[in-house]
Parts: sequence; C-alpha cells; structure tokens
Amino acid sequence: MRSWRRAWERYRRQTRFLVAVYLLLMVLAGAAFWLFARLRDLPPEELTNRLLVFLLWWFDLTLIAVLLFMLLRNLTKLLLERHHGVFGSRFRAKLLLSYLVLIFGPTLLVFLLSASLLSHAAARWFSEPVEEMAAQGAALAAGLRAEAEARARRSAAAVAREVARAGESRAARIAALERLHGLLGNHLTALWRDGVSVIELQDPRAEVLRRLSALDENSLASGGQRSERAGGTLIVRAWEVMADGSVVVVGEVLPAELIAAQARLAAAGAAYEQLKLQRTAMTATMVLGFGGFALLVVFAAVWLGLHLSRRFTAPLLSLVASTERAARGETLEEVPLPADDEVGLLVESFNAMVRRLKEKEAALEDTVHRLDTVLRGIRTGVLTMDRERTSVIGNPAAAALLGMPQLALRPLALDEVAAAGNARLVDTLRSAAGPVRGSVTVEAAGVARALELAVLPLGDPAQPQGWVVALEDLTQLLRAQRQAAWSEVARRIAHQIKNPLTPIRLAAERIARHAEKGGGSLGSVVSQGCAAIVEHVQAMQEMVDAFALYAKLPPVSLRPTQLGQLVAQLVALYDGLRPNLRFRVEDHLGDEEVLADPVQLRQALANLLDNAAEASPQGGEVVVTLARRESEITITVADRGTGLDGGDPELFFQPFYSTKGRGSGIGLAVVQRIVADHGGTIRLLPREGGGVEAVVTLPGG
Amino acid sequence: MVVCALVLAAALPNAERPGLEVSLTPAPGRLTVQLVVQHEIPQEWSRALVAGAPVSITYRLRLFRNRRWLWDQRLSGHELVVEAQRDPLTGVFTLIARQDGEVLASGHAATVEEAIHWVTHPPPAAVPVPLRHDPLWLVVRAEYLTRYKLLVIPSTVGTEWVTRAVPESP
Repeated sequence: MRSWRRAWERYRRQTRFLVAVYLLLMVLAGAAFWLFARLRDLPPEELTNRLLVFLLWWFDLTLIAVLLFMLLRNLTKLLLERHHGVFGSRFRAKLLLSYLVLIFGPTLLVFLLSASLLSHAAARWFSEPVEEMAAQGAALAAGLRAEAEARARRSAAAVAREVARAGESRAARIAALERLHGLLGNHLTALWRDGVSVIELQDPRAEVLRRLSALDENSLASGGQRSERAGGTLIVRAWEVMADGSVVVVGEVLPAELIAAQARLAAAGAAYEQLKLQRTAMTATMVLGFGGFALLVVFAAVWLGLHLSRRFTAPLLSLVASTERAARGETLEEVPLPADDEVGLLVESFNAMVRRLKEKEAALEDTVHRLDTVLRGIRTGVLTMDRERTSVIGNPAAAALLGMPQLALRPLALDEVAAAGNARLVDTLRSAAGPVRGSVTVEAAGVARALELAVLPLGDPAQPQGWVVALEDLTQLLRAQRQAAWSEVARRIAHQIKNPLTPIRLAAERIARHAEKGGGSLGSVVSQGCAAIVEHVQAMQEMVDAFALYAKLPPVSLRPTQLGQLVAQLVALYDGLRPNLRFRVEDHLGDEEVLADPVQLRQALANLLDNAAEASPQGGEVVVTLARRESEITITVADRGTGLDGGDPELFFQPFYSTKGRGSGIGLAVVQRIVADHGGTIRLLPREGGGVEAVVTLPGG
Repeated sequence: MVVCALVLAAALPNAERPGLEVSLTPAPGRLTVQLVVQHEIPQEWSRALVAGAPVSITYRLRLFRNRRWLWDQRLSGHELVVEAQRDPLTGVFTLIARQDGEVLASGHAATVEEAIHWVTHPPPAAVPVPLRHDPLWLVVRAEYLTRYKLLVIPSTVGTEWVTRAVPESP
C-alpha cells in the first residue's frame, strides 16, 4: 500500500501526467458541450426525459461535491500551514484565492446570465403572438369543420323536406333524391329506412367514401352530424330523420390539400402546446447542462490553480529548506532544477551560489588547516578570546609559555589562566581597550618568563568580535642582549680607560727613571709627569661622570609644552657662542603644545646644538626647524659641517662613539634615549650641499 | 412546540383535502382499485388538452406490507397512465388507459369536459395481492405534470399520497 502510494505520489507530480489530466478534463468539457449542443436536436419527449435531468443532477452534484472536497481540503491544509508559519503558504493562499475569485466570479456571472437569458428566451419563444397564432390555427380548423357540418346539416334537412314532399312512393323518393344529389352537389346522398340503406348516391370522384363505416343505428335515431378522417381528408356526414322514420344522410368530402394543411397547422399547434407544457423541463435541462459545464470549467481552473500554486512554491520551498538546513549548521545543498523559467533561473543562481560557497568553504578549510599547522609549528604563542573576554584558547606554543597544556585542547576561563600564575597577563588582556603592545612577566609553573605581547581586536575595533593575542618569549633574548650589552660596556670602558692609562704609565716610568739617575731635571720631570697624570685621571673622571649620567637618566615626565618657546629660548643661549656662526629658528608650530618632558628635551636639543656648533665652519649657520607632519612633530637641526663622512649613522648613537677625538661620545646616545622615552625617533641624514640634518620625530597626536 | 405547530399547519390542508378518492374492492388474489381525482386539473394541462397536445395523468399505486417491528415492506408498484388527446380536425378526444404498459381501456369523447371526466375517473385498476398474514397498505397518488422550482429543482404536480388499508377479501 505504501509503495503504491509512493509510486502515485511520484507519478502524479510528473508534468506529463498533469498535462494528461488537464487534457482529459478538457475532453470531458468538450463532450459536455457536444451533449449540450445535441440536446437542441432531440425531440421534446427525449429532452424532457427525467432520466436526463437525473443524470445531469447527478453529474452536477458530483462535480460540486468533488469541488467542495478539493477546495475545503486544500483550504484547510493552507490554513494549517499558514498557522504553523510554513514558508510559501501565504503566497499559495493568495494565489489560490486570486484564482478562485478570478474563476468563480466570471463563471458564476456567465452561468447566471446564461440561465437568465435561456429562461427569458424560452419565455419569449412561448410568447403571446405565437400562442395566438397556434390558437387561431386550431380555431380555423374547428371553424372549417363546424362550417362543413352546418352545411351538411342544412343540406340533409333540405333533402329530407323535398323527399317528404315527393310522397310515399319509393320511385318518387329515389327520383327526388337523385335530382337533389345532382342539384346540391353533395358527395354523398343516401336514404335509409329501418336501418337499411334504400339508396346511396356517391360522387364517383370521392372514392374515399367507400371506406367509411356505416352509421350505427343508435346515432340515426335523431338528426346529427359526424366528422371522420379517411384517406388523408375529412369527411363530414349529417343526417336528418323524416316523419316516417326514414333517414336522409348527406356527406361532404373536404379538399385533401386543405385538410392536409389544416392537419399540419393543428399538429404544429399541438406540438407547441406540448412544448409549452414541457418548457420548464427544457429550461431545467439546459440550465443543468450549463451548470455542469461551468462546474467543469471551475473544477479544471481550481485544480490548475492548486497545481500551479504548488508548482510555483515548490522550488522556493526547496530553497528555504536548504537555507534552513544550512542555518542549522548542516551542509548547504543544491536544489533540483524545476524548470527552464524564471524560477529555474533563481534556483540555478542559488545552486551557483551554493557551489561558490562550497569552493570558498573548501578554501577556508584549507586555509584553516594550514593556519592550524602554522600555529602548531611556530614558537610564537597565539591566544584567541571571545568578545566578552571570558574564555581563551591558544596554540601549543602559548600553552607551553603559560604552563597550561590544556589551553591548546579546549577553551579555558580567564580566571583559570590567571590562577596559574598569569595574573598580570590576564589583567593586561582584560584592560585592553584597543590594540595594545607591551611586555609582561609571568611566572607560569614556577618559571619566570618575560613575554612581549600584542593584543589585537577582531573586526571593528569599536565593537570587536573577539581578540587575538600574540606572545613572544623574550627571556632568552633579553638575557643575550643583557650579556651583549655588558660585553660592549666592558669593552668600551676598557678602551676608554686604556687610553689614559698608557700616558700615566709612561709619565710614572719617566719619573722613576729620572729619580734613579738623579739630576737637576727631576723636579721638572716630576712636575710634568704629575700634570700629565692628573690630566688623564681627570679625563677618566669625566668619562665616569658621563657614564653615570647615561645610566641615571630619570624617566620622562610628560606635560604640555610649547616647543617653539623652548627651542627659541635654547637657541638664544647659543646665538653669539662663536663669532661668524649664526643660529636661526624656523617655527611652524607657533603656540601649539605637545606632550613632552621639557627638561630632558632641552638637554637633548642642547646636545644636538653642541654637535652642530662644533661641526659648523666659520661663517656657518645652524637652522632649527619645527614643523608638524600629520600626527607627528619634527624638530630638525641642520648644519653645514663635515657631515657623516660616509659612516653608518647608527654608530653615532652608540655610547662612547666619537669621531671628534675628544669628549665622552655619550651625547647622541643620551639624545636617542630621551627621544625614545618620548616615543619618538631620531635620524641623521646627509644634507644637500654638505652638512648633517638631525631629524627628531615626536608623537604629536 | 413551534415545530409541532408548523407540522400541523402543513398537515392540515392535506388532511382536509387529499385530492384523490380511493375505493377498494377486494377479491381473492386481487384488489380492484377505483380512483377518482377530486383536485382541479391544472390549467396548463387542460389548455394543452384542448390545443391537441397529448396529456396524461399517471396514477401510482404501491402496495406495502405493514410490519410491526420493521419498516413497511414494498410488495409491488403499478402505474396506471390515462392519456388523452384531441384531434383538432375532428374535435374528438381519444382516450386510452394503460396499466403497467398494457391497454386497460380506451374511448372517445366529444367534449373536453367528457374527456377530463374520463381521465379523472379512470377505469378500475386491478392490483395483484399476495396471500399474507400481515395487514397491507395501498398508497396511491395521481400526477399531472412536472414543474421546476428555481429553474432546476423538479416538483411533481399532483395529489397527495393517499394511504388505504387493504380490506380482507370475502
């Protein structure tokens, strides 16, 4: 049973089956129309057959029942689907209602108009003129017969009087009868006595008189007349009873052509009356036929409307089902192509989109796979947090850095991560309001690590969808840098100490040698040697002081500072320091304030001005330029000195590096440190036409 | 109560004037039924008769067995069709009575009154009656013609159904 139902469900949705059903309905409608057309040719008694009316009633009632069942079933189904919010039910309901209105309205109107026209046409056909004509035809026939009967009665009476006047003699009566028969021109003249014909005279042309039956004796008891049909004509016989009991019979044969015409007229009148009697039955038959045809049309239209509504919405329902499955997390699947029309185009577009999404999904999976491999392989720890920053998951490197192996397996609560010795890291993550870069020290699993971190929001920074944290273990690097720094410091200190130690040792050896020899020059030698020793010890003292200065730079204290004013005051101190050396300020900032530590910034600029002044030749000019470039402030100190001499500019910023042969070589290193503490940079650039430009860039947002 | 009143109101005219007089004459194995229509014949019926159209009155006779605990059992049904037609040329009315398709009687009438009297007083019909123990009912009706209400609903014009108990044969 179920397989049969499945086969039926599969078969009934095929287009050719639907087309065949529709064609069958059209054939039935055509047959109904043919039957209706044939009704006109049927005789009235067939037309008014109750069986036909019964069959039409049965046909109409069956159609109404099927139509109502189909409509109620589908409407109930649609209402339930609409109640449950099934996609497409609203569209189908609208489509079906539109079909019903479009079909029921005109069909009902046409049916009512047809029934009304039919009824009125039938009534008009049975109109008064026609009825009058039929009545006059019948009256004419009756009048003709009555006239013939009256004429025959008068003739019979006249013959009877003349025969009586002829006397009792049989011969005289026969002679009188023959004379009157010829004189009056009757077709029949007869004399009867005691029920027996005495003489009967007939017109030889009226042979039909021989077919007549004899008049019965009872009728002849008194005078009378009779009209009879015989031989396609009408024969009128009248008789008159004489005083002696004899009966004179007179007959007349009416013209056959006239009687035939009268007969046709009378038959038409009778048929008209019969039709009139059956008028309501004819009307009922035709109206029922019309009704059946209209119902058939409505049935076909409603069925077609239901089918079309299903056919229109089925692909859309498939689309919705597919998208709903995708929304539930299932795989997005292609929808079968319904037809080569606009809906098919929509489905094809949807399928193309599904294919593209699948390709992108595959590419994304591939990317994710690669990224996962990379994340598992790199030594940089990567953490991802949800938008609310309540849970976090990381790659194996991050799990190892934070001493939590389970972090690479499943998301962990941030509190759990904090409790494992990563409280400072978690605090930094929770307090980040945007992109953050910095370093933090954690003590995961009892091991202290210096981590460099970068926190980046996912998506819109104002409303991030999540957070990504990159962790770099700087412990080994810092240790190596520290060792390298100490090595460099030791090398430079050794180099700086080694230079004065040699003259001191030579001075001491010279004093010792002169002391062994003795002589008068010992005093001067001691004096010169001590002076040299003191000079080089002082140089060493200066070197130690510079080292202490570099090591003891305090942290910057930023506050709003007018750079233009600060630079102008400083340059004013240098102006006139050397003859023929000019200092000029190009201030493009005006009264604009920036966040800076004025004390340390003044020291850094003084070092740059010192270097520029020392490097500048006679008649030179040192130009200090203040300008804003987008969100940065630039301070440029330009001179016309010897320039960089092709050396690496970065070397000038190393402590104790100097090309001047004097000084501690710590000035530019201090400048770089102060600028870096302000969040800025410094570069040394060769200047066109000779000289150097020291460009300091500070954040000025 | 309202329904009862309506039913009584509808039933009263029928009770007063059934429209058909039925006389039963029992005989062994058969029942002679004499029918007389007391209704006035519809005008269109009479007009059609005068105009020469064939018209008829159909008398339907149904014999039932009256059962005590079950519904009545229909034993037989008969049709007595009395036809009348006027010859417009001769003015003579031809009358034929057929019972179940067989000619029962025929005649002629010179006037329409005689013809109508002939069809409303048809010759007696003979209904076979089976031997039985239960009482029998004869239900009779005369039908003149069919009209249609609202164009399509058929409605038979005739007398009411008249029920008579079939008397025991002597």
